[in-house]
Amino acid sequence: MNAAAESDASVGLRERVRYLCAACRQVFGMPDYERYLTHAAQRHPGAPVLTRSDFFVQAIERKYGKGGARCC
Amino acid sequence: MNRLISLLLWPAIAIIGAFSFAALALGRGESVNAVWLVTAALSVYLIAYRFYSKFIAEKVLRVDPTRPTPAVRHNDGLDYVPTNKWVLYGHHFAAIAGAGPLVGPVLAAQMGFLPGTLWILAGVVTAGAVQDFIVLFVSVRRDGKSLGEMIKMELGPIPGSLALVGVLAIMIIILAVLALVVVKALTGSPWGLFTIFATIPIALLMGCYMRFIRPGRVGEASAFGVVLLLVSIFLGRVVAEDPAWAPMFTLSGTQLAWALIIYGAIAASLPVWLMLAPRDYLSTFLKIGTIVALAIGIYYVAPKLAMPATTRFLDGTGPVFSGKLFPFLFITIACGAVSGFHSLISSGTTPKMVENESHMRLIGFGGMLAESFVAVMALTAACVLDPGIYFAMNAPAAIIGTTAANAAQVISGWGFTITPDMITQTAKDIGETSILSRAGGAPTLAVGMAQILGQALGGKAMEAFWYHFAILFEALFILTAVDAGTRVGRFMIQDMLGHVYKPLGNTEYLPANLLGTALCVGLWGYFLYQGVVDPLGGINTLWQLFGVGNQMLAGIALLLCTSVLVKMKRERYVWVTLVPTAWLLITTLTAGVQKIFDPDPKIGFLSLARKFSDAAAQGSVLAPAKSIAEMQRVAFNNYLDAVVCAFFVLLVVAMCVFAVKICLQALKQANPTAHEIPPLAGAQGSMA
Repeated sequence: MNAAAESDASVGLRERVRYLCAACRQVFGMPDYERYLTHAAQRHPGAPVLTRSDFFVQAIERKYGKGGARCC
Repeated sequence: MNRLISLLLWPAIAIIGAFSFAALALGRGESVNAVWLVTAALSVYLIAYRFYSKFIAEKVLRVDPTRPTPAVRHNDGLDYVPTNKWVLYGHHFAAIAGAGPLVGPVLAAQMGFLPGTLWILAGVVTAGAVQDFIVLFVSVRRDGKSLGEMIKMELGPIPGSLALVGVLAIMIIILAVLALVVVKALTGSPWGLFTIFATIPIALLMGCYMRFIRPGRVGEASAFGVVLLLVSIFLGRVVAEDPAWAPMFTLSGTQLAWALIIYGAIAASLPVWLMLAPRDYLSTFLKIGTIVALAIGIYYVAPKLAMPATTRFLDGTGPVFSGKLFPFLFITIACGAVSGFHSLISSGTTPKMVENESHMRLIGFGGMLAESFVAVMALTAACVLDPGIYFAMNAPAAIIGTTAANAAQVISGWGFTITPDMITQTAKDIGETSILSRAGGAPTLAVGMAQILGQALGGKAMEAFWYHFAILFEALFILTAVDAGTRVGRFMIQDMLGHVYKPLGNTEYLPANLLGTALCVGLWGYFLYQGVVDPLGGINTLWQLFGVGNQMLAGIALLLCTSVLVKMKRERYVWVTLVPTAWLLITTLTAGVQKIFDPDPKIGFLSLARKFSDAAAQGSVLAPAKSIAEMQRVAFNNYLDAVVCAFFVLLVVAMCVFAVKICLQALKQANPTAHEIPPLAGAQGSMA
């Protein structure tokens, strides 16, 4: 196995771990910041984007701001 | 090959299911293993999902995988995000699962394990999962609109406003009854109260961590939060055994009620990132973990069901709640069979995240099956307990007295033999001073869970730990619900006040906010306080009021689904929603009318109120009240309960009239009249 393939494999693994973490966060109702970045770059190239912490502050505010229906 | 597997697999599941049911039904005279009950339930879920939900998706709704969903059309990377179907399934399940399926089945266990099991399974397949699935479908086809908005769109503005008032009323009752469950579990329990209290600083720590140190790292924060919680359970024992600390955490019922009311008012006014959000993450973490652990525990320990299949309390004379199997079983077990509250979640954030219409079957129908499985496990945990212990924990003090000796005598008289020693020993095993009259599901489930998990891990020595873990787990999401529900209630109240006096509707205006919060907390706090001081127990009244309200909301949601099916010109399949609607209306209207007018004071609010007010007028004091003032309070509260119940009944009757009118109009039309977003609208994506 050469160096390039090895780094590909580790990138693939890292990407998969990241995806798994993001998926778990979404189960908890926390949106994925990286996907937001990808989305913003594709749809609104050049437009200002939220920083990571602003993104989460806003996400929590939107989800819970009005209480968010909780089930019995 | 796949076809062959399917051809062999489904008959095999059917046979396993039939065999399990046979074991349950025929095992009279000797106790049945709980594994049969859980297996029977799982087989029903698999078959219902594979065949019935597919039928609904393909024939009834004609789900269209090529039709863009709101998430695809409005994809903004924030709220409208196409989400992997398994991730969304988890998210949806975490949002619908609460304390409800843990309380109702435990209360219903007084009639034996069989009636509750059969209703949970029949109810979820024909009503609960159908409601969740179709409401999700209807909302996805309407840009993720909420239940209230959809009722307004499809049935008209008056039914829309009526539904909102109904939701607010149900919310108030729910908050009161959930808070009451916490009070019943923590009264005189320093260990329990300390661990619950510890969740406040833990949540604050997590909130600050996620805001300032590692933004958005929910997993990390929750992981260390859970570790701290486990530490707090161990510390709780130290506190409970310490002569200086224990009295500080030993509160009476009324003290706890006030503590919760003050907590609710403060918690609902704090910024959401500080306490509500982190605690919600913690409770989601524990919820999923505990449910999985309990399922594994039941299969690993394979406990016997100590409760008989049916008990003599089918006749309506049960101590936990009064009233016959029909209609009261069907309102006592709400969540787990069918829950109106889910219609608010299925038309909340979930429809905005559905990637493809074909995923809705898994998320809506499948999500509800998982919730139902939680209810089956709660029922199992309650029925694993010795029936004597079960009744000691769930019957009110007015019936079994306040000492172990008295309780053992009364309960043995019902045919469930138990000695005072067994009662005190159980309390000692779980590290509490008393287990008597801890109605409300949580403690019973916790003892059952402690016995199951204790046998799997740690034995008798760990039972007290598992008991307090189970109490913590339930109290945690109940407190989250109290906090979030108070906020929702405040916004709804402000919305309504805004129609009367404009500035009160402004959610940015602090005095208006405070007024809204105070009104909301005051309303549920009143019912909570009333439940705590009610000498007759409180839970038995409030839970039935909640059951009537929640099932009425399910009836309203299903009326909407029925009207939409008719308006889509799918009247051929309208029985899919019409049958559960009819059943819900029959059971809840019967229960509602009986709760108000039944001449037996154990059931009817009015007759109980009259009995107490008449006696008070003649100056005599009826047990368990201790003074004329207490008598008058019982009478007043029962009149109030009758009014709330009558409101639910009238509301659902009115909704029914509106729905019938709309359906008759739609039947005369040759073409579909439902207000769906056309398939091609904005397929290119409108941007936020």
